[in-house]
Amino acid sequence: MVEANGKVLTGEVETEEVEFQEKYLSRGQLIWRAFLKHRLGVVALVILIILYIIALFADFLSPYNPLEQSLRHTYAPPTKIYRSYKGQRVGAYVLPVITFVDKVTYERTYREMLYPRRVVVEKPNGEREVYELGKDGVESIRFQVSSIESIKINGEWFDVKKSPRTTDYLLFGYNDEALSKGKSRFETNSAVAQEVYFKAYGTRFNLTDEEQIEAVAITETIDNIIVRKDGRLQMLTGKVIDFDYKTYPVKWFIKTWNGKLFWLFPLNLHLFGVDNYDNNPYVKLFIMGADLFGRDVWSRIVFASRISLSIGFIGMVITFALAMVFGGISGYYGGLVDEALMRFAEIIMSIPGFYLLIMLRAMLPLDLPSTQIYVLLVFILAFIGWAGTSRVIRGMVLSIRQREFVEAAIAIGLPNSKVLARHILPNTATYLIVASTLRIPGYILGEAGLSFLGLGIREPYASWGLMLAQAQDVYVITRAPWLLIPGLFIIITCLAFNTVGDALRDALDPRSLG
Amino acid sequence: MLKYIIRRLLISIPELFIISFMIFMIMYAAPGDFLDQYRLDPTISAETLEAMRKEYGLDQPAIVQYLTWLKNLFKGNMGYSFYYRRPVSDLIWERVNATLILSVSSLLFSWALGIVTGIFSALKKYSFSDRILTVVALGLIATPSFFLGLLMLYLAAKTNWFPISGMISTSYNQLSAWNKFKDILWHMILPVSALSLGSFASLMRYMRGSLLDVLNEDYVIFARAKGMPERVVIYKHALRNAINPMITFLGFSISGLLGGALFIENVFGWPGMGRLIYQALIQQDMYLVIASGLISAILLVVGNLVADMLLALVDPRVRLT
Repeated sequence: MVEANGKVLTGEVETEEVEFQEKYLSRGQLIWRAFLKHRLGVVALVILIILYIIALFADFLSPYNPLEQSLRHTYAPPTKIYRSYKGQRVGAYVLPVITFVDKVTYERTYREMLYPRRVVVEKPNGEREVYELGKDGVESIRFQVSSIESIKINGEWFDVKKSPRTTDYLLFGYNDEALSKGKSRFETNSAVAQEVYFKAYGTRFNLTDEEQIEAVAITETIDNIIVRKDGRLQMLTGKVIDFDYKTYPVKWFIKTWNGKLFWLFPLNLHLFGVDNYDNNPYVKLFIMGADLFGRDVWSRIVFASRISLSIGFIGMVITFALAMVFGGISGYYGGLVDEALMRFAEIIMSIPGFYLLIMLRAMLPLDLPSTQIYVLLVFILAFIGWAGTSRVIRGMVLSIRQREFVEAAIAIGLPNSKVLARHILPNTATYLIVASTLRIPGYILGEAGLSFLGLGIREPYASWGLMLAQAQDVYVITRAPWLLIPGLFIIITCLAFNTVGDALRDALDPRSLG
Repeated sequence: MLKYIIRRLLISIPELFIISFMIFMIMYAAPGDFLDQYRLDPTISAETLEAMRKEYGLDQPAIVQYLTWLKNLFKGNMGYSFYYRRPVSDLIWERVNATLILSVSSLLFSWALGIVTGIFSALKKYSFSDRILTVVALGLIATPSFFLGLLMLYLAAKTNWFPISGMISTSYNQLSAWNKFKDILWHMILPVSALSLGSFASLMRYMRGSLLDVLNEDYVIFARAKGMPERVVIYKHALRNAINPMITFLGFSISGLLGGALFIENVFGWPGMGRLIYQALIQQDMYLVIASGLISAILLVVGNLVADMLLALVDPRVRLT
């Protein structure tokens, strides 16, 4: 019995199956079979494939242009996607959001906006009238709101200011009850509000201390509804008994911005997005929030994955090409060439890695276009990784050169270059495959680190490390923790490469092939 | 032994020269020089610039600049920093303490943690706790150190338990000695844990692998067959052999003592060497870069030497000749 891992006991048929496989499967198929046994490795491989597909189809998967700014949405939190409207289940939709510094707490918060779509007004004579946007010639619905600021002193409320204004929208959680209940009230006793109102009204009420202002409130009521109908403005003074607000549906396969599929074909179809039917600048669908410039973090992550994922791969290929050439030559020919190359490799290895990386980067101008920086980074990373690998390959070539089949090849009269390329180097393939997979995370981390320090890819383009650089500030990190998400992508990618590398090592181990 | 050390140090001297020369050439080949930032400033006249060029010796050919620097090095002068206008050695000396506090404590911490957890998970191979530790370690290996730092920063900002940046509080000078110590300790916690978590993971994996290899050796099986208590088998026979490969690793750790904390220093605003080197590189402060590069290379040489000597001490089979 060749197979000794318990399968023998399970029956005659299976043993035959195993023996059949061993006899008739090619080496590649055997390796694949051994790889599939490594569950985690398979999962990691699937994750990697998904990540590379994401990078390839970046334009299709991102709902926004990664460079498109929306300064209204600085550090906008992930957009809330609603599934129910007034208690009823409906298709997914989002609401417009606005940064809003309210008058009493002076806190900057994002609030969802209530744009009226339909109002039902009961006139003083008991008549009901329905106004719906786009129907019966209704063009716009606006509100005339009066807001009363009041402060509480010794348990008693005093109105201090009354101001009317006209607005297109109300804010949820702030004054939307003015529409639904006729009156909204926003109350606070924050220290900021106390200070501000003490400064403004302290002398009028003979106050000596900020603390005497126990609370501050803003009460808002809707005085009039202004409807534009058939080009004429109408003032409605009745009571609102019912209303609907605008919702913006989230849709799959939606046509929005113009991207380029595979860098070539124009494409405006995207996997998902929000149907912004009236071009409302406040409507955005940020599934992972927005950054300083109001750019969609998810779209940027998707586009950044192109850089982070390809830099590892290309850098690895260059490194191993260099290592094979130099390691092969110095192992095969030996002598002075070997001596010189290996001393050079040793010196490179004796300068601490990241130090050398930064130094080489600093040697080149900082303000290059991003495409050139990308190429530079690839070469710098490859240059640093080259030394260690070529020493290993040299060692392998030295031992393979002693084997009979190499001697036979030389005896036949093959030229040296052919012996090296056809007979010796292919035998290092197993090592190369495993080592290269395990080395890729190093490149990804190297690029991320350089970009994080501002030495790599530059704004407005994105790489995962560069995106994390935005999160260096404590205030930013507390306000917008979603800026840390690119870090998770770095971890997942590196973890996946490491796991696949481990699984490959096991699979390529001759003992596991059976 | 002494002969061996001397020979090793002698061999490394030409290597250090080549390294310092390479760093110098890289810095020299870099486009622009330190004075670029002054050229953009309209208030500085051309004559001043020329005078500065002379003063810094930037008007000399490269080889002359290097040789001058080398000559000064033998006199114990590592050159002047253009930016700080002070001797490089003073600058480095100021920053060395801050960095060493950080890196030595994280070195101790990560080695203690790494070895203990490595042994633990090797002994409990394939158990639940081993799997948990393995997953945590693999995750940490895949995490960039600055991301770990950012997470710690987020934790600090959210909980307010730890200071956010710097090494000392603003009131440091008014504190008593004991409180000064506590203040630094308090500022250290986050950067040290970020640093040690990063390096602990790979140490643990190495320790685990190395101990598992040794536990499969014949002499361990023999010791067990002889009826030796498990404690003796593991701690007296297996562990002593398993620790050997780790010592080589220690050499690398020593070489990273000064420059290895660059990211963490950046994230936490720690006034250490890593940041000094980084800023010097960006500003093309040539002699500061070369001097710190040389020190890093010396540390690497020393680290390797220390590792080899330790190995000879621990393993009687290794003879240094």
